[in-house]
Amino acid sequence: MPIFTKSSTWLPALACLALSSQLWAAPAEKPFAEKKVVLQISDDDASKQTLVLNVASNLIKHYGPDRVDVEIVAFGSGLRLLFADNSNAGRIDSLAENSGVRFSACMNTMQKVTQNLGYEPKLDANAAPVDAGVVRILDLVSDGYVLIKP
Amino acid sequence: MQKLHLALALILAAGTSVTANATNWLQLQGTEPAGSTDRFNLWGFIQPEYDYTANSKLPAGPWAGQKAVFNQIAPDLKSSSTFNIRRARVGVRGANVPIDSKTNYFLLLEAGNNGITKYGDSAVAATDASVTLNHIQHARIRVGEFKYPGEEEGLQAIHVFNYINFTAVTDQLLLERFFDGDGSNTQDENKPTGFGAFRDIGVQVFDWFDWLGFEHTYAAMIGNGNGLNRTDDNNNKDYYLYWASEKVFGDSTGPQREGWKLLAWYQKGERTLKYVNGDNDKQDFDRKRWGLGTTYRKGKWRAAAEYVDADGMVLNGTDGGAVPGSLNNAETQVASFNVSPDGKANGYYLDLGYKVLPKLELDLRYDYLDRVKNIAADEREFTNWTIGAQWFFNKKTRALLNYEIRDAKAPNFASSAPPNQILDETDNRASVQILAIF
Repeated sequence: MPIFTKSSTWLPALACLALSSQLWAAPAEKPFAEKKVVLQISDDDASKQTLVLNVASNLIKHYGPDRVDVEIVAFGSGLRLLFADNSNAGRIDSLAENSGVRFSACMNTMQKVTQNLGYEPKLDANAAPVDAGVVRILDLVSDGYVLIKP
Repeated sequence: MQKLHLALALILAAGTSVTANATNWLQLQGTEPAGSTDRFNLWGFIQPEYDYTANSKLPAGPWAGQKAVFNQIAPDLKSSSTFNIRRARVGVRGANVPIDSKTNYFLLLEAGNNGITKYGDSAVAATDASVTLNHIQHARIRVGEFKYPGEEEGLQAIHVFNYINFTAVTDQLLLERFFDGDGSNTQDENKPTGFGAFRDIGVQVFDWFDWLGFEHTYAAMIGNGNGLNRTDDNNNKDYYLYWASEKVFGDSTGPQREGWKLLAWYQKGERTLKYVNGDNDKQDFDRKRWGLGTTYRKGKWRAAAEYVDADGMVLNGTDGGAVPGSLNNAETQVASFNVSPDGKANGYYLDLGYKVLPKLELDLRYDYLDRVKNIAADEREFTNWTIGAQWFFNKKTRALLNYEIRDAKAPNFASSAPPNQILDETDNRASVQILAIF
């Protein structure tokens, strides 16, 4: 029984939406940022992982790390981007440490994944847990962030 | 001369010169990138080609005037000028549950015309069908049918192979054909009953790790030792050991990764023959192979050098150099494939490639094989130079052009003796191939 299929990616998303309280408070926003962007990754297409990281890199490259505030929110099947053993971990490290890109991991999805796998996958050290990925996105949008889903 | 050849191999092996692909094939073929693999990745490649020799006939011996097997184009051995679909493969690989990186699978089917389909008696055959379990730290487990850990020329992904034909040492010592007899039955062509394609069915434990600035890879495997798509024909299993240490240059990844690699491997098994020395006498024979190699790739340069040693079950040509199945002129004997159950052999190759233009690579390869060196009457030496060019239309499409200058001799016979008269007729071979990966 597959854990996620393309047609069922809305299920964890919906579950995330059902939760409203935040486990994690976002780090201070960049005070000189002229642009604020939230990138969503929520499906299991592996090429989307590269794409979302490329988009973040390109934004940083274009505006400069102090002029753009980028947060990547992962939920549903997209959460595996933020698993500790993900092959993109090096890029995530670099974006977080050198460019101040933030990464948010949906804990409601995590709960569902843990249930299905029978163990709790370890998260990337740069991932900050949030109760619900979708709620995190809505909150950021309310704060003036532009939502992009590559 | 042999010492000079070996010295050249060792100089290159020492890494003092520009030297081929430095890539972790066990990782690339046996596992998927953690956390970023799709459930179902469809892929494959097609290799149409044309091969030509001058079709010189046998000048002496019981089959004088007939076709020489070494001037015919494999696998059918009916023509010296032919188009062929060397390989047409389609496969799927991935993680069956994408969110769980610990289970990977790999399935690849062959529909081309080569030893796999010809000797497997099937128009389509599985070349790979395996599952990799990444649950135990430092001990990944791969189960099923797949390439066994071994010589670089055989282990590398064939769609990044820089030539059209294998070296003599790889073709004759490692690209295993399976037989029921040694070829001594004068009324039977001893057609291969199976084909190895550098693969086996079994279980492999492997992993890689970084230490002292090198990436080290190990593998140990046990398999049937009976080729593709067959259960074992005896209860004796084949054992494989492999070690590679690679200095990886920069951040490059994939099949074209830049680096310098040293590797060593060993394999041992037993083969059962039912007809030996002209008698229905079922016997088991040891088959051992081991080798050392090095590969290098950086910028426009790539190179490789490998040495292979063989003990037991060594291919031993065909009767009189004739095409198996053909009747001799006296109509008393059918030419057959021959195997030397106790034969020993060794050989090596040196390979160099340079990209003169972003879309054009020029290649040069020298290979040497001393076959059945322990039996004077059967000993044969093969030396080949291959001049090649590769034109890269794009990242996944290229054209290969090869011209092989081939030489063979029977060192323990006078140059005018029939074995050398026959071998002197070994033609050079020209080949053109298009490779398209999808």
